[in-house]
Amino acid sequence: MKNNLGSAYVRLLPFLLSFIILQAEDFTYTFNADNQNPYVKEAVVLTLDINQTNHDVVLLFNFSIAKSKDYTFQRLDIQETDSYHDAKIHYVYLIYPLTSGDINIAFNLLKKVTTDESVAYSFSGDRDNVKGLVTTDTHITLHPFQLKVKALPVGTTLVGDFKLTHAVKKHKAGPYEPLPFQVSIKGDGYPPLLDTLLPKDGNFTRFTEKPIVQSIAHMQGAQSTVTYPMALSHNKSFTLSPIVLKAFNPKTEKSYTLTVPLQHFDIEEADVNSLVDTIDAPALLREDWSWLKTLLSYLIVFGAGYLTALSWKWQKKNRSNNHNPLILKIQNCKDTKALLQVLMATGSKHFTPSIEKLEASLYANSKINFNKVKQEILEKIL
Amino acid sequence: MNEQITLLKKELSKAVIGQEAMIEGLLIGLLCDGHILVEGVPGLAKTTTINALSHALGLDSKRIQFTPDLLPSDIVGAQIYNPKDHSFSIKKGPLFTHLLLADEINRAPAKVQSALLEVMQERQVTIAEETFKLDRPFLVMATQNPIEQEGVYALPEAQLDRFMMKIVVHHNSEEEELEIMRKAASKDFEEVQAVLSIEELHALQVELDKIHIDEELERYIVQLIASTRDPARFGLESIAENIMFGASPRASIDLYKAAKAKAFLRGHDFVTPADIGYVIHDVLRHRIVLSYEARARGISADEIISTIIETLPIP
Repeated sequence: MKNNLGSAYVRLLPFLLSFIILQAEDFTYTFNADNQNPYVKEAVVLTLDINQTNHDVVLLFNFSIAKSKDYTFQRLDIQETDSYHDAKIHYVYLIYPLTSGDINIAFNLLKKVTTDESVAYSFSGDRDNVKGLVTTDTHITLHPFQLKVKALPVGTTLVGDFKLTHAVKKHKAGPYEPLPFQVSIKGDGYPPLLDTLLPKDGNFTRFTEKPIVQSIAHMQGAQSTVTYPMALSHNKSFTLSPIVLKAFNPKTEKSYTLTVPLQHFDIEEADVNSLVDTIDAPALLREDWSWLKTLLSYLIVFGAGYLTALSWKWQKKNRSNNHNPLILKIQNCKDTKALLQVLMATGSKHFTPSIEKLEASLYANSKINFNKVKQEILEKIL
Repeated sequence: MNEQITLLKKELSKAVIGQEAMIEGLLIGLLCDGHILVEGVPGLAKTTTINALSHALGLDSKRIQFTPDLLPSDIVGAQIYNPKDHSFSIKKGPLFTHLLLADEINRAPAKVQSALLEVMQERQVTIAEETFKLDRPFLVMATQNPIEQEGVYALPEAQLDRFMMKIVVHHNSEEEELEIMRKAASKDFEEVQAVLSIEELHALQVELDKIHIDEELERYIVQLIASTRDPARFGLESIAENIMFGASPRASIDLYKAAKAKAFLRGHDFVTPADIGYVIHDVLRHRIVLSYEARARGISADEIISTIIETLPIP
C-alpha cells in the first residue's frame, strides 16, 4: 500500500478537499480544516481567511458558525488588518463533532459595504444625536463545510489522551462519618465531563458536588482537568466497586481504560450506649409511663371539676333548704299541734290534705304517722 | 258537705272555671250575711261570678261601676221633685238588690264609698227622711285593682271593717285558662240554673247556726284578735312595731262566723282550729293597719297573721 501511487492520492485527497478558495463579489474567502475525517468528539481546527478584492469600497464582515446539535465549537482566534480598503480577516475555530456520519457545518457571513466618508463621520454628533455607520449589508451564502465523522468504539466515554487520579483521605471512619473521595481526569481532548462517575451498586450514601472544570483550548485541541469531589458514608463497612472508564485516543486511534481500583472502607460499629443523650433525653430509653401520668392527671382534674360542680349543687340545695324558713319551721315541729299551727299559718290550700290528716289525728282520734306526714309536707315543698 | 252547697258549687262551675277561693268566700259571705272585698287584676271573672251566683240562687244582682264623678245619690237613690203635683217621690238606687257588685270601689271618692256604710252594716237605706229596709240576703261584693294607684281613693278603715273578708284573687292556672279560652271561643258556657231558693238559703243559715264551736276555740278566736291589738301581751313583741291598729270587734264576730261557715262548707258539724286557720287571713288582712315601718320594710298583713297563728298555741 505504501508504494501504491493510487493510495497516495487517496490520502492526499482529503487534504486537497480541505483547502477551498472561493470567489465572491468584492472579496475571496478560504476555508481550511486540519481534519475532515475526525472521530466523534475529536477536535477539528477550522480557519477562514477573507481577503478584500475590490479596494474601492470599505468592507466590513460579521462571521459566525451556525449552532447545531451535531457539533459544538469555540472560536480560538480572530485577526484583522486596520486597512479599510484592503480587509484581511483570519478566523480560527475549534470544532467538536458530536455525531458520526456526514455533518455539515453551516456559516453566517454578513458583508457590509460602506464609504470612507461614512466611516469618518460614523461616530460624530453629540450625545443625543449619534450618527451610526451607514452600511449596505449583504448576506453571503456560504456552502456548508462537510465533515465525515467516524464513530467511536462501543462503550467509549472519554475522547482524548487522559490520565486519571483519585484520592481517598481515609478508609476508616465512624458510622455515618463522611469519607472524602476525589477523582481527577486530566489530559488533552474533549473535556471529560461525565453525568455519573460512581457505580450504581452499593447501598452507601453518596454526596456529590458539581465537577470543577478547568479547560484551556488551543490549536491542538483542549487541555482539561475535571475534578469530581465526592464523599461517601454508611453505618457499616462497605466496598466501592472499581470505576472503569473506557477512553479513546483519536490520535493513536487506540482505546484504553482509566481505572479507580476497588476501595474498601471500614466503618467502626457504633456504641449505642455512648450515643444516648443522658442529659437532655434520658427518659426516652426507659419505660415510658408518662401517658399514664397524663391520663391520671386528666382524670383527677375531670373528677375534681365534676365533684366541685356536684358539691356546688348540693350546697345550693342545702342552702336553699336551710334558707327556706318554712322548711326549718316544719323540721323543728315536735308534735302534731305545732305542725298544724305552722301549716295553718301558711294560709295555703296546698297543704289542705296534710292539715286534714293532722286535724283528724287531733280532734277525731285518727292515727297518723307524724314523721311520715312531716316528710310528705317537706317533699311537697321541695 | 251539704248536698245543696255541692249542687250550688257545681252550678257555679258552669260559668266560672277555677277561682275557688272567690266562690268559697262569696258562699261564706252569703251564709253569714257578710260582704266580700275582692282584690285582683281585671279579667278574673268577678262580674261573671256574681252574676252566676245570682242566677244560681234566683236572686237579683246589680253592678255599679265606681268612677271618680259618682255621687252617693247615684247608688243610694234620691228624692225627686214632681212638678205636676208639686210632690217628691223616691227614686231607689241600684243598691236595692240582693247581690251588688261594686266594681272598682276605690275609684270613687270617700263620700261615695261612705254611702255604703249604712247599707252594709244596717242593711237599710235612708233617702231623705225615709228609711228602707233591704231584702235579705244582701251581699256586697266590692272589687279593687291592686296595680293601679293613679286616681284611686283608698278605702277608709271604717269601710274596710264592714267587709267580712278580703279575698285576694290570683290568675287561673294554665290548664284552667286553656279551658276558659276554649269555652269562650266556642261560646260553650252552659247557662246557670237556679238550684237554691231564698228559703233554702235561709234554711242553710239556720243550719249554720247549729254548728258547734268549743269555748276554747271561741277564746282562741278572741286571743287571735286581741293579739293584733296588743301583740306584746301574747309574746309577739317582734310584730308589735309593725301594727298601728289592730282588728276591731267586728273582726272577732266575722272570724267566728267565717270559721263556722268554713266548717259547714267542709261538711263538719263542729269547728276545728284548722277552720279558723283557713279563713283567718281573709278575715283579718284588711283589718290590720300596718305601721309606717312595716310598710317601709315591705311587711304584709298576711305575714303578721301567720306569725300570730304560729305563736299562739292552738287548743
